[in-house]
Amino acid sequence: MDNLTWRGLGLRAALACAGLMAAAPAFAAEITIWCWDPNFNVAIMREAGQRYTKTHPDVTFNVVDFAKADVEQKLQTALASGTTSALPDIVLIEDYGAQKYLQSFPGAFAPMSGKVDYKGFAPYKVELMTVDGKVYGMPFDSGVTGLFYRRDYLEQAGFKPQDLQDITWDRYIEIGKAVEAKTGKKMTTQELNNGGMTRIIMQSGNGWYFDKKGKLAVNDNAALKGALETQAKMIKAGLIKPATGWNDYVKAFTSGDVASVVTGVWITGTIKAQADQAGKWGIAPIPKLDIPGAVHASNLGGSSWYVLASSKQKEKAIDFLNEVYAKDLDFYQKILTERGAVGSLMAARTGAAYQQADAFFGGDKVWQNFSDWLGKVPAVNYGIFTNELDTAVTANLPALVDGKPVDAVLKAINDQAELQIQ
Amino acid sequence: MAMTGSGTRAGGLRRYYDVNGWLFVAPALLLIGTLMLYPIVSSLMLSVYSGRGMMMRFVGAGNLVRLYSDPVFWTALSNTIVFFVIQVPIMIVLALVMANALNDPRLRFSGLFRTAIFLPCITSLVAYSILFKSMFSVDGIVNRTMMAIGVMDQPISWLTDPFWAKVLVIIAITWRWTGYNMIFYLASLQNLDRSVDEAARIDGVPAWGRFFFLTVPMLKPVILFTTITSTIGTLQLFDEVYSLTEGTGGPSNATLTLSLYIYNLTFRFMPNFGYAATLSYVIVVLVALLSFLQFYAVRERR
Repeated sequence: MDNLTWRGLGLRAALACAGLMAAAPAFAAEITIWCWDPNFNVAIMREAGQRYTKTHPDVTFNVVDFAKADVEQKLQTALASGTTSALPDIVLIEDYGAQKYLQSFPGAFAPMSGKVDYKGFAPYKVELMTVDGKVYGMPFDSGVTGLFYRRDYLEQAGFKPQDLQDITWDRYIEIGKAVEAKTGKKMTTQELNNGGMTRIIMQSGNGWYFDKKGKLAVNDNAALKGALETQAKMIKAGLIKPATGWNDYVKAFTSGDVASVVTGVWITGTIKAQADQAGKWGIAPIPKLDIPGAVHASNLGGSSWYVLASSKQKEKAIDFLNEVYAKDLDFYQKILTERGAVGSLMAARTGAAYQQADAFFGGDKVWQNFSDWLGKVPAVNYGIFTNELDTAVTANLPALVDGKPVDAVLKAINDQAELQIQ
Repeated sequence: MAMTGSGTRAGGLRRYYDVNGWLFVAPALLLIGTLMLYPIVSSLMLSVYSGRGMMMRFVGAGNLVRLYSDPVFWTALSNTIVFFVIQVPIMIVLALVMANALNDPRLRFSGLFRTAIFLPCITSLVAYSILFKSMFSVDGIVNRTMMAIGVMDQPISWLTDPFWAKVLVIIAITWRWTGYNMIFYLASLQNLDRSVDEAARIDGVPAWGRFFFLTVPMLKPVILFTTITSTIGTLQLFDEVYSLTEGTGGPSNATLTLSLYIYNLTFRFMPNFGYAATLSYVIVVLVALLSFLQFYAVRERR
């Protein structure tokens, strides 16, 4: 209690200071933006800001880089306490959490429908930022997923790139066993305290924790069941090098400890940062569940920009997002090649950068592939309780590995979730 | 005596002292009022509301009903109790033994050892948690060392196995806080009358006997104090588990503590400030109960 109180006080003091500083410039507008990944959305937003300042010299940008959890915590604290002066003008929110913020803090975000032409964006991105017919954000990157694998390890185990095209998860597990037998490397890595893998497999099976209306749908959910069983099989087969956190997870595949990883396209930049592994990587569509409606495409993460309704620079901020993110196709080519950001503006996909083959991935047409897969990602309703369900799933998955029947596990998840989401 | 007299001069003097006294305490009262009392009262009021973010409605005792049927709350509570029931005695005994050893006048370099043992408790909570996380990862230095010297042949998955994750948290907080408690013991050991110990030694009482039947009873008030403060500290355990598990309290909620659950309800989940406030009052009640126990035990001694 004491601990929390003091943290809260520190936070408030910090927010108050930030508020004072933000209030200083009067008319030479400065737009403050909160986001979280210095190599990705922070760098991209700086690029966007520079482009806008070229045509609008009176507008400058202050892109603030926090950890993602800190952005969410600060945003939530400021919105709840009503100290809007502490808030930035634009904030980045992960797609899973969008509806949560929009619904639980009504009036906190500025609607942008009518000012932005949303027809040009991937429909699932627009839908997740719509409440009561009003659209509230600027769609940003997609988290379309792929299977990133080490060509060299797979080759040693006797597999060619086409052996990984359009496979099922069961086949993936077989390949994984062979890879470990031949190379001594684990097939993949996973953060066992994180529900990311469950979400990837579940969405590829055209399912989610909730049905299309946002109601809890855990019992008899074939996609979730498949996701849990697949992971249990992988754990039992010893295919997974367990990771204790994000850094540990990234280290496992960047240091060559594992032969493959299934994750969002935004990891491309991190993988390509290992220049000595050039040519050793390849990409393939993610494996598929053996259930009707399942596809080789899914999504993990992805985020969008939101303008705070309390912002003094609201109109300028919306205009900025609209000018760059909804119209500047050249910008999308640049962030794709430099940062590996697959945007959700459909028109950007016809650009030259999407056609290029990438020597790092052995000459695969990486971006063309990802944008093809993006079109196949099943649209699901993320609902407003993703974190709660993630917690329930990761808490109950070990029981499945220990041999508890899958229906009983689903029931346990359902029961825990029901109490959490009231 | 003159102050209680009925003369005007005395009355004026009293008012003079009253006004000045209040002026002196006013800044402190104001700060305590706005920074302590107001949040306490306001969170009490918050705890009868529930809802999503700012969409709160009055539920009366609804949060208590929810609390009762919330399995995650019971998991968090039992984890918290396991942590203090197992960790506090281990730490207290360790601290006592170390203090006693350091108090031996024949020990050389005792200042060095004292500093080394005390040092962990001035390191940053987050820094040491992250260090522990890396040391105890599957291919971390701890597993490697233990395998190299042949203590075990399979690496322990410290952070992904529910049992070992609890063990790791206990190891971590013991490392962090043993030195802190030891300093209390050392200070009071140095205040003890040496002649009692000497007399016992001349009478032929062995070292362990002097420790258990002389030193420990004489340290009883300090032991009581450290036990209660450690218990309260463990009840509020947050930073370590947050950093070790990246905020999830995993695996399988095995390291979820009450404070971490409050944090999750406020910042990770759909924000429900009312329910989180109710939970924080559970900690208040537990702390109050334990403090009452402390007063009770002290009174009984006299």
